[in-house]
Amino acid sequence: MQFTVTDQGEGIAVVHIAGRLNMVTAPRLREVVAASVAAGQNRVAVDLSDVDFIDSSGLGALIGGLKTTRQAGGDLRIAAPNEQVRLVLQLTNMERVLTAYPTASNAFHG
Amino acid sequence: MVRISAHTLTLISPPDDVNTVHALLETVWADAAHVSATDRCSFETALIELASNVIRYADTGSGVTCGLRVEVSDVALDARLSDTGATAAELFAAGVSGAAGLDLRQMPDELSESGRGIALIQALVDKLEYTRNGDLNHWHIARKLGS
Repeated sequence: MQFTVTDQGEGIAVVHIAGRLNMVTAPRLREVVAASVAAGQNRVAVDLSDVDFIDSSGLGALIGGLKTTRQAGGDLRIAAPNEQVRLVLQLTNMERVLTAYPTASNAFHG
Repeated sequence: MVRISAHTLTLISPPDDVNTVHALLETVWADAAHVSATDRCSFETALIELASNVIRYADTGSGVTCGLRVEVSDVALDARLSDTGATAAELFAAGVSGAAGLDLRQMPDELSESGRGIALIQALVDKLEYTRNGDLNHWHIARKLGS
């Protein structure tokens, strides 16, 4: 699992994740989002294009990140989920809260 | 006659974790060309949720040892997981919703960061059973192919 954070300016950070977002890696996502917000980037786009699996722990970390950014006046948006991630979002009724954008770069500039 | 292939694993956490279960499933799918991507995805998500719940909540400080058996037949996917962790009552108290009776669970509030695991499993498989026998918890999930 790898996390790469890119500063896009205007208070926007793109967090690219590669691998599985599960109970092993979910805590790291929470840390990365918290660090971005602390650095002034309270609008976080999470690029899921290279995430091949998510479980409810990973989903919980996304929701935690969403709350962290919103508390700072920002937002967290997800981009490019695969079929497995879409299935989990659908079955947990989270598609409305975590709306998927086609790409991370247009999540805040769509 | 129904053809069945079985794969087994002993998971000792720590150091094993859910990625150990993913690795087992890679060998399962390599031997199951007749199982659709939808069935694989649904079953793997359910099994990882189950293993995550067991590893997270059944560990009372001395780790957890799990025996896992996955069976693939022409008609179904089946997994049985036995663990040495806490009793169902303790699991229930720890937040493994529904462990005491496995009643159909509703999803929590949309901004809740936990509590979706068991409900998600129930949405992905046709069977979720729990029993306590002696010092062991026994979990059983099954999904009919094409369901």
